Amino acid sequence: MDLALQLLFTGFGIGAVYALVALGFVLIFRATNVVNFAQGEFSMVAAYLMVVCAVDLELPYWLSFLIALAGMALLGIVFNLGVYYPLRNRSFLPVIIATIGASIFLSNAVLALYGPQPQALQGWFDTPGIQAGPVYLDSQYLLIIGVTLLLVLFQYWFFEHTLLGKKMQATSQDKEMASLLGIKVSSMIMLTFVYSAVLGGIAGILVAPVLFVSIQMGSTIALKAFAATIIGGFGDVTGAIIGGLALGIIETFGAAYISVPYKDGFAFLVLIAFLVFRPQGLFGERVAEKA
Amino acid sequence: MRLTRRAFSTSLASLCAMPALIGRASAQTATIKIGMVAPVTGPAAESGRYAQIGAKLAVEAVNKAGGVLGKPVELLVEDDQTTNPGVVLAFSKLAAQSDIIGFLGPIRSTQVHALAPDALKLAKPVMIGGTDPNLTHMGNPWLFRCRPNDSYSGSVIADFGINTIGKKKWAIVHSTDAFGTAGGKALAGALDKAGATIALDQGYTNQSQDFTPVVLAVKQSGADILGSYFTFENDNGIFARQLRQLGVTIPYIGSASITNATALKLAGPALYGTYGVADYAEESSDAAKAYGKLYRDTAKVAADNQSSWTYDAVNVLALGINKAGSTEPGKIRDAILSIKGYPGAEGEYNFDANGDGLHGYNVVKNEKGIMVFDKHIESKD
Repeated sequence: MDLALQLLFTGFGIGAVYALVALGFVLIFRATNVVNFAQGEFSMVAAYLMVVCAVDLELPYWLSFLIALAGMALLGIVFNLGVYYPLRNRSFLPVIIATIGASIFLSNAVLALYGPQPQALQGWFDTPGIQAGPVYLDSQYLLIIGVTLLLVLFQYWFFEHTLLGKKMQATSQDKEMASLLGIKVSSMIMLTFVYSAVLGGIAGILVAPVLFVSIQMGSTIALKAFAATIIGGFGDVTGAIIGGLALGIIETFGAAYISVPYKDGFAFLVLIAFLVFRPQGLFGERVAEKA
Repeated sequence: MRLTRRAFSTSLASLCAMPALIGRASAQTATIKIGMVAPVTGPAAESGRYAQIGAKLAVEAVNKAGGVLGKPVELLVEDDQTTNPGVVLAFSKLAAQSDIIGFLGPIRSTQVHALAPDALKLAKPVMIGGTDPNLTHMGNPWLFRCRPNDSYSGSVIADFGINTIGKKKWAIVHSTDAFGTAGGKALAGALDKAGATIALDQGYTNQSQDFTPVVLAVKQSGADILGSYFTFENDNGIFARQLRQLGVTIPYIGSASITNATALKLAGPALYGTYGVADYAEESSDAAKAYGKLYRDTAKVAADNQSSWTYDAVNVLALGINKAGSTEPGKIRDAILSIKGYPGAEGEYNFDANGDGLHGYNVVKNEKGIMVFDKHIESKD
């Protein structure tokens, strides 16, 4: 029982990271109908920005965090203008390829600027964790879970109770109709990219003290987050969160009770099962084709 | 002037022969080229940088001492991208240059396995750092190892844990790649031979993000000592931190990666008090001390095995070519195999018929982030 509780906590923490990155996938997909394969690199870039500010420049942690998020917002704008906007009237394929290209570019740019050395980043708290009965609660995982819950609540409030959020939702549901209603579609898409970049950035900064900061960290997380998005139902915010958490828990329990070397395999077995038996995911709607 | 048939034929023959003559002339004055595959990009890029520094320091030292066969040595580096396809491509690019006399291969056994068939076809000496014992026991006469292999590290870890620390119930954690699997097997074999109990033998995949299940398995096994074979330092860092967080405090002896500068930097206090078997330990010999100083003066960080093995590899290869007195691969091979008692940074080289130059390990202890030499154990195998 103690073992199961410890695994549940760890799985929840890892899953929360997948969920945060998956949210970014979903938001951009809903706004533009394309998958942004550079979403993982947003996490990596933010983690490196944090290292530059908090470790190299020795700025206060909170200030480094704000600078990193501002940097991510800027990256979201540049990404939208440089990668999505020029191809917005093309089919989804060139845009997806452009996001893959951007992902490679970002990895190599960071490699060229910062070098290949993995970096250690301190967590937000001085205390590494607390012992709660038989379970050790890593303070960074607690923070990750807490921030994920807060962001989910914020997202609900933002999309359901603010005009801006409703405009963004309207844009994601039907761009032409939104445009006819006077919503500036391009601005809404820009805002979506900014928000997704910041979300990815938060995930990267939160996970950096756990996984260390490296060029590969983004792609590792993004692959799982992408699987989580499919499991949850592509395009569904709740699905991304549930999918991410489920994936984290499944792979942690699978590793502990069945086989550690096949840990990644469990996640992708579940993904394949969903693609075969429920391709719309947990919360996605079945899409019927017209005859 | 009329062009006669004889004049035309002579001119044509001269033209045809010219590239060969020029090539021969330039070959006579050219450098002795050594090719090196190294991870310039990818997860091991940092250790690849250290490896290049070590090799370049050796090239400088060799050239300062008069070069090889009277010519300066030139090092040509190709990026292996820390992948198996990458290393095959990088090695092929270098192998296509016929004037390269010898090569430095990878430190990762899985990559050495990937390029071994090409090395066999090329039939030129390749110095390797991979420690899978099989590499020098699979009928490839062109691989020469400049690190002690894992059958030695396994027996040294077992020897130190049983005879020095006095523990007999072991947990083994190892990567599932060629290096980790061979290492885990070697340690299990040595423990079995010594009559110790293996409470857990646990593999993991490289670049794992979380080691909670592995740590909990170690905890539940009831082992009183832990031995590990980690391929990547960031994995070792995450594992060590989770080990301490989840309250596992049993003595821990790791393979060489636990002593690397990157692992020490990433894991920090989580690795304090652990032991490692290191092919390179600065205090282990005069040659190691001299190399440590040279490396620190250049790289501004302490040397580790990532650079010391390439330093030795270039020196051993240069010594082999000089002993052979020729660039003919067969003669160089015989000369390398005849090297005995050469004092390298990693230890004393005594090549056996398989191409293994070193046969023992240093045991070092992590004293608050500084690796302190404990003892050298020469394998009895």
